[in-house]
Formats: sequence, structure tokens, C-alpha cells
Amino acid sequence: MAEFAVVEPATVDEVLDLLARYGEEAKPVAGGTWLALVLRQGLLWPSLLVSLRRVSGLAGITVDEVGNLRLGAMTRLRSIETSPLVWERLPVVAETYREVANVRVRYQATVGGNLCDADYASDPPALLTALDARVIAVSQRRWRAIPVRDFILGHYQTVLEPDELVTEVVVPALPPDAGAVYVKYRTRSHEDRPCIGVAAVVVPDAEGRLARAEVVVGAVAERPQRLPEVLDAVRGRALDDASIGEVAERYAAGIDPLSDLRGSAWYRSEMIRVFVERALRAARERAQWEGRQP
Amino acid sequence: MIDAVERVTGRIRFSQDASLPGMLHAAAVRSVVPHGRIARVDTAAALEVPGVVAVVTGEDLRRLPGLRPVYGPQIEDQPVVALDRVRYVGDIVALVAAETPRAAQEAAALVTVEYEELPAVFDPLDALEPGAPLLHELEPERPHEGTALYFGIRPQFGTNCCNLFRIRRGDVARGFAEADLVLEETFRTPAIQHVAMEPHAALALWEDGRLTVWSGTQTPFNTRQILAGIFGLPVERVRVVVPPMGGSYGCKVFPRIEPQAALLAYVTGRPVKFVLRRDEEFVTLTRHATVVTIRLGLKRDGRITAREVRAYWNTGAYADCGPDVARKGGFGIVGPYRIPNVAVDSRCVYTNLPPAGAFRGYAVTQATWASESMMDLAADALGLDPLEFRLRNLLRDGETFATGETLHDVHFAECLERAAAAIGWEGPQRRELGDGRVRAKGLAVVMKGMTTPSRSEAKVGVDRSGQVTVYSSTVELGQGARTVLAQLAAEALGVPYQQVRVVDPDTDRTPFDNRTTSSRSTYMMGNAVRQAALALRERLLLAAAQRLEVEPADLELVDGNVRVAGAPASALTFGQLVEATGQEELVEHGEFRNQGGLDPDTGQGIASSHWHQGAGAVEVEVDTRTGKVTILHAHASVYAGQVVNWHTAELQNLGCIVFGVGSALFEELVYDQGQLVNPNLSDYLIPSFLDLPERMTHDLIERPGAEIHGLGETALPPIPAAVGNAVARAIGARVTELPLTPERVLRAIRARDGERG
Ligand SMILES: Cc1cc2nc3c(=O)[nH]c(=O)nc-3n(C[C@H](O)[C@H](O)[C@H](O)COP(=O)(O)OP(=O)(O)OC[C@H]3O[C@@H](n4cnc5c(N)ncnc54)[C@H](O)[C@@H]3O)c2cc1C
Repeated sequence: MAEFAVVEPATVDEVLDLLARYGEEAKPVAGGTWLALVLRQGLLWPSLLVSLRRVSGLAGITVDEVGNLRLGAMTRLRSIETSPLVWERLPVVAETYREVANVRVRYQATVGGNLCDADYASDPPALLTALDARVIAVSQRRWRAIPVRDFILGHYQTVLEPDELVTEVVVPALPPDAGAVYVKYRTRSHEDRPCIGVAAVVVPDAEGRLARAEVVVGAVAERPQRLPEVLDAVRGRALDDASIGEVAERYAAGIDPLSDLRGSAWYRSEMIRVFVERALRAARERAQWEGRQP
Repeated sequence: MIDAVERVTGRIRFSQDASLPGMLHAAAVRSVVPHGRIARVDTAAALEVPGVVAVVTGEDLRRLPGLRPVYGPQIEDQPVVALDRVRYVGDIVALVAAETPRAAQEAAALVTVEYEELPAVFDPLDALEPGAPLLHELEPERPHEGTALYFGIRPQFGTNCCNLFRIRRGDVARGFAEADLVLEETFRTPAIQHVAMEPHAALALWEDGRLTVWSGTQTPFNTRQILAGIFGLPVERVRVVVPPMGGSYGCKVFPRIEPQAALLAYVTGRPVKFVLRRDEEFVTLTRHATVVTIRLGLKRDGRITAREVRAYWNTGAYADCGPDVARKGGFGIVGPYRIPNVAVDSRCVYTNLPPAGAFRGYAVTQATWASESMMDLAADALGLDPLEFRLRNLLRDGETFATGETLHDVHFAECLERAAAAIGWEGPQRRELGDGRVRAKGLAVVMKGMTTPSRSEAKVGVDRSGQVTVYSSTVELGQGARTVLAQLAAEALGVPYQQVRVVDPDTDRTPFDNRTTSSRSTYMMGNAVRQAALALRERLLLAAAQRLEVEPADLELVDGNVRVAGAPASALTFGQLVEATGQEELVEHGEFRNQGGLDPDTGQGIASSHWHQGAGAVEVEVDTRTGKVTILHAHASVYAGQVVNWHTAELQNLGCIVFGVGSALFEELVYDQGQLVNPNLSDYLIPSFLDLPERMTHDLIERPGAEIHGLGETALPPIPAAVGNAVARAIGARVTELPLTPERVLRAIRARDGERG
């Protein structure tokens, strides 16, 4: 492990000052569950670790005036899974964070750290993309709201500049009749990262057709996969088995998956078909279609 | 368990906790190439690191006079530090000793090594091809037998085969000629790792020309002998002390880091502690990957006419106890069946991978995977129920095994029937639940030998305070050895077992024992302790009889007193009796041996003085759209003979099932050109509580008057095989390679349907 200094600032301003001064040399530490591993493996050599543990105002779960769920960057994954507010507003968010790693990791890892490490085999990014969530990033230069969809660029790479700090993740509310799910599929232990994870959101219109459909496939490529042309094609149609099958088929054909110890590219293609279908069926179950037969 | 409170409150001092004033810390520099000549090692930068005291290379080792730089329990092929050649990614090229663990690690990272790469080989079949790169040049005239060898070893000189064990019984050619049906299949298992919670840890000290090593090892006496061999000392000048371990499962059988710690202590003149990192654990010892081909001759009525086996055990770069693994697997692979004609060729093969050695189940998990999968294939081919087919062929009391030995106290059929009943074998064996989900059941039987010949000695003493002490070299690795040995002594002496002290193994203080392996301790050491305790009982009775002027037969031992039966007032405490002899402690000695051995060319003789017998049965659910297997219910039936401690015995059965689940479903070390791809616990997964079958049940089968049968491993081998059989029944196709990953299962389903993956 390299030599580095650790500081524990108390305010966001202090953090931003440090990040601006040290640039690439500094790294924020959230839960440290990812950072500790890469430091030990000698993959990163920061000279300054900026602990976010004592920074006030970074942790917490609130609902704003327009009904967005706001998750502070330092909110522990376990806090989301146990939050009555999240279960009330967006249960799928609580369900998804509950599927991450194991309970020991969830007590330590944070919302911000999970997005910022940009590991392809993570669960929340696929769901947050499907929910059209935004990452709030601040620096001494600017304030930005970045759609999660654009936030992760590739393997361990985000659009974040070295002087930027993620302060929160903002998740818009869903219409009350929407159905949303995240289906995580593990090929090895129950504590494993996903071989594939599929987030699906469907919103029916007054006639019982699809007003909105979102399908995002995580952990199969270097960033969450969303195929807008496929989703556009089903909008306005009934969500019957045929259209579900079509989406599943086209996602399987349209994504070029990677191979790792959790499954080969061939296997992942097969699983995209299976789990896009399962996720859409489950989302359909959850949505409110009563009295709106197309 | 007598140490349960210490364990859960963190007060047990494990080997990792051993420390001495002034001690240095070790770190290893490891090869990054799978096979190569060492061209140059540059230690200059490492020596500059503040706190570094020594960096030792193969060159240095060679220059030290009087040292034998290579060791190995069965073949002396492993250098303490690579001398001129590295043979796997992870091989030790240099050792560092420094004031702090951190300085040692930092310095190790600064040692630069240049290699001339040599061709490498990773698959045991490739390694036996003519022209394959040779890992070692074993020669008939050079001694190749390690000190822990208790059987004939047959290296195939000029090849990478370091042991060929054979069984020849009857005439397989005739057996196949008589068969109505001949089946052949090849089965594979991957290398896996033990993942003991506590890593390897050793502390070495030289004092007055004597070497003392505190180490978490299952083999204190073998380790002592091997260390004495390296340093050219009589064994009396080496002392090995074994604190309790945080798990082992075979990875601490035979020296692993003790020679390296001792070498650094020798060079620096300071105590040296060596603790492996988790990633180093992964390249230090593994379970043998195997390739096994079985040919089976069958009669329509279900009789087996012949069995021919070719087994290859990938032992990696150094033999360790691989030769014995190939031998034990060689007879384990026959299975507990009546087969008149048997031919087995079991080969232990060097490759450029991390060394493989002992692992809970010791060869029998891989053997059972092949042989019990084959039994189901045969039952299907004959159109027989797998239970019925096995019951027709299982060995019964007084019948003869392939080694020519007659078996007694035989309970295979009973174990199997109980396991089958436990999962409701009589009900439907396969059910479709809709949505592509299918449930099915599977069975497997296991036969496992115990180290034969071997010997255990024990002493039991009582001192002037009445304290009863067991002196035994059986090591405590979490299995409850201390508890069980205390119980056996306590039972003979009429004291509560919680008051019996069991001292840690110490080759200066505790008497000889072969080793804590092979599920032998409760039986072998248990008998030695019992004998010693009974002798001590006699001595106390005689002493009391004299003093109380009664016949010994009129006395009883109750709660640390010897008293006249029916007259509790007339009593003497153990302490008073000891004091009366004028000695500090009265000590008695016990010894227990078993006898036997096999001819390595024919496999005839006594393989095991008694047999560990069991069966496993599971119900699984397969999602045929993904290939994912869920084990709903796993049951293990184990013949125990006599259970000494129900609590710890049950935990052994359950622990074995958990290990079986990992082996069956996902544990696998993956190598890319000899480089381990998953040397950490995020990429190499072991079962978590959420991975356990919803139902885990088991039986411990007892018989009045029967011998104790070891049970630390028996329930493990049948689990992967039973899961494989259940999955095959569910999907109508067979996966022949472990683990049963969803992808392998899905590919088998597609192959069944004639599709290509
Ligand atoms: C054993 C294990 C299993 C896991 N399994 C899963 C799984 O199944 N699914 C899953 O989704 N994830 C999984 N993870 C990942 C885990 O959920 C966390 O995402 C991850 O470990 C990082 O979280 P952290 O809060 O500890 O971040 P840290 O390690 O502290 O930081 C990660 C990176 O993000 C940067 N960073 C952190 N916070 C900020 C911020 N506010 N602003 C800017 N940069 C920041 C850090 O500088 C660092 O580069 C697993 C992790 C482990 C260790």
C-alpha cells in the first residue's frame, strides 16, 4: 500500500477546497469498501484520502417539494433498505439496495460510493438509470445534475472531474399506477455481484397501453444498457406476452455482453432474454391496469 | 465444547497470535511466471527499505553450509526458496525479514526478478504427453522418498507422473467380455481452495542451537522431522508447538511456511513470524483437480462384471501429499461395490500450477463425483431405479473389497436407505412445476479409508491438586478435539469433562501422533487416551484400596474422589492419592495402532483398518431456462459406530454438507496460463448462510458395542455427486464436470435438445 495522508473535513466547502487543490492526488473516501481493495492491490496511488465520514449534510433520505426522493451521497445502503420513507415512496429502490452484496457491506457502503466506483457488476445503477435519477455533483467551479444514464462512462470511469464531489442522488417519483422492479440474477453465491440485473418500469395509459416503458440491463457490459429504439417501438402498444417477448429478443440481440467468472458472453445473451422477460412480467404484475383493457 | 466461551469471546490465542519480543516479520517474493529459470534477482532496493533486516534468495540458500534446501512429505522436491527455477505463479523466489509486516511487504514488492521463461503445462493429460516440459527430474537412484511416506511410491521416471498407483483384481478383459453392456464416461473436477478463516501462521525461534516453531499445523511430528532434515539436526533439537487453529480443512497438513520462517530466523538470529495474506493462501495449497475415466461392464440383471479406471490427479508444481491422494483416490474410486474384475491406474501428475494436497474428503470427493455419477448412468442404461441398482451391488458384511480385504461392520446399504428415505425417495423422483422449473432427487454412497498404518500415543495425568490433564498431539482446529479427548478421559476417571485440561500439542511435551488428518483422531487418539485414562484409573484404585484397606473392586470414582461404594464418607481425593505417592503428578501412557498397507502395483492388501461409510441424498430444483440449481433438501447419513459427542458430531455432518454445497455449485479456482484469476473472496466464493439448502438433515448411525468411527469428512463427498445425479434426473442430461454452474447446466440442456451453445 502506498503512503498517503488522511483528512477528515467537516464541511462540503472544505472538501471542495481540498479536491480543487490536490486534483488527481486526492480521493474522497465514502464507505471505503471499494477504495480499500484497490489501494491494497496497488491500483491507485492517491497521496491524500479525504474522508467524507464527518462531513455534515451528506447523509440522509428526504422527499422534496416535487416529490423527488433525495438520497444523500453518504447514505449507507443499509439505511435505504430499512427506511420507511423509501418503502412508502419508491419500494423498488429499497428492494434493489437490499440485493446488494451482503449485510456487512451494506452497513458500510454508500449511495455515492456505489455510483462513483462505476463497477460494471453493480446493482443500483441499472435501476437508477431506469428511474431517470440524477447525480448532483458540485465543485468550486460549478454545480451539475447529471442523469445516471450519462454518469457512468465505462469500466471504473465516470464523467466526474477530480475536483467534483457527489452530494446526492435525486430519484423522481413514479406515477401511482406504474410498475417497477429490479431483478438480480446471481450464478454463484447469494452474496455475489450480479451476473445480470434488469430494471423494468412500465406505466400504463388510460387505455391500458404502454405510456412509458423502461428496461435497463446491468452487469452485462461496461455500463448499464438501455436500447431506446426498442423501447420506442413498444410505446403505445399493449404489454402482452408477445410484446414482452419481442423486447426480450431485441435486447438479447442488441447487447454485446462481456464474459467473466459469472457467465460467458453466450450465457449472458441467453440470460438477457430470460430476465428482460421476467422483469417485464413482474413490472406488469405491479402496475395498475384495472379497467383499462386495450 | 470446552473452549466455546474462549472462542466466541475472542480469547483463544491462535497461531496467528503467537509473538515473541524482538520478533521480525516475513514476506515472500513470488514468481509471476508459471515456469522459468531465474536469471537475476536484484535485492538492492529491498534492502534499502527502513526496517529490513534480511532478504534471502535461492543463491543465499545454496551458500548456507549444512542445509538441505529441499523438502516434501513424500517426495523431496520443494525448495525452501526457489534455487534456480520457478515452477508456478506464486512460487517463492525470495524471502524478506523486517521489523514490521509493512516494511517486509514493501521490500518484497521492490525485489526485481528476471526470468528466462520455459514452456509450461497445466493439464495433467498434456503433462503426460511425450515431449511435455518436465517439472522435476526424478531419478531412480536419487532418494525421492519423504519422511512422511508410509506406502510404496512409483514415480514414472522421465515423465511428470510422480506416483502411479494400481489395482489389479480378477481379469477386466474377461469381465468386459462377459458384460451385456459396457459404458464409459470421463468426469472432471476443478482445483478449489480450503479458505480456512485463519491463514497459515508460524513463528520460528533459534535458541542454543535448537529450533522452536509455533505453528498452526495438523502435522507437528512430520513438521518436526522435515525441519530437522532441512537444518541437519537430530529431531530432538527441533520443537513444534501447535496453538489452536481457526480452521484448516487440510491446508495445514505438512509444512507449508514453517521452513521459510525457520530459515529467516536462522539467517537473522531473531525470531521470525510468517503469516500469509489471503491471496497467498490461494496459491499455497489447493484441492487436486481431476480427470477420471471409468469403464463399466454390466449384466442386464444389474450385476457389475468389470470396472476399469484411469484417474489423473493434478498435483501442481510440488508433490506434497499428492502421491498419497492418488493412492487413496485410487481405491476410493472403486466404490463400495461387489465387482469381480477391477483395474485402476491412478496417476499423480506435476503441472505448472499451485501445489495441491490434503483437503477435507481427501481424494474421495473427486472419486465419488466420478464413481457415483457413473452408477446413475449405469442404472439409467439398465432401466433400474438408482437406489435398487446400488442396493443390489453394495458390499455387505464379510464381503471382499477390490483390495482383497474382507470388510466388517459394513453399513453402506443402511446409510443409503436412510438417506433415500429422508428425502422421500419413494415419492415422485421428478416433478415439473411449470415455468420451466423441475424438481428431482439424487443419491450417492461414500466409502472412505482412514490412514493405515498409523499410531497415536497419549498420556493422562493427575496432579496433587486433583487436576486431570490429557497430553496429546492431536491438534485443535475447531473440530472439538480437546472436548472429545477430555470427555474420553473424564469418562474413565469419573470427573466432569469440563474440568479436564488438554494441553496444546508440543513435540517436547506431548507424545507421538501420526497427525490430525483422515478423521482418525477421535478413534485413534481417542483409544490411546482411553487406555491411558483407564490405566490411571487402575493406579488410583490400587492406591486407594491400599490406603482404605478395601478391595479395588469395592471402590468407585466419583467427581475426583475414590470412594468405597455405598460408603461415600470413606473417600480420598485424587490429589490426596497423588500426594501420598510423593510424586507431583501420576501419569499413565496409552498407545493405539492400526495395521495394514497395499502393494502399489496390484493394490492388494489392507487399505484401511476400518472404513468411513455414508450416503447423501438431495432434492434440487432446476430452473431449466437459466440452468440455475437450488438445493432444497440435503441429507447425509453417516455410520458413526459410537458417538462420543453428539453436538460436535452433528456439526461435522452439517459442516460437510456446507462444503459439499460449495463444491457442487460454484467453488472453482480459475487459471489463465497458470495465473490464478480469482485469488480473493469476491471472485472466489464460498457458501454463505443464504446459500444453504432450506433443509439440511442428517443421521449418525450407532451400534451398541461398535468402535468409534471418524466422521469429520464422510458426509462431504456424497453431496456433489448426489446433486449431480439429481440435476441429471431433472434435465435428462448429464453434466460431467464440477461445479454445476448454471451455464454448464444450461449447455447440457441445449446439448440434449440438439442445439449448440
Ligand atoms: C464484498 C463486496 C460485494 C459487493 N457486491 C455488490 C453487489 O452485489 N452489488 C453492488 O451493486 N455492489 C456491490 N459491491 C459494491 C458496494 O456496494 C459499493 O458500491 C462499493 O464497495 C463502494 O462503496 P463505498 O461507499 O464503500 O465507496 P468507496 O470505496 O469509499 O469509494 C468508491 C469510489 O468512489 C469515490 N467516491 C465515493 N463517494 C464519492 C462522492 N460522494 N463523490 C465523489 N466520489 C466519491 C471514491 O473516491 C472511490 O473512488 C460490493 C462490494 C464488496 C466489497
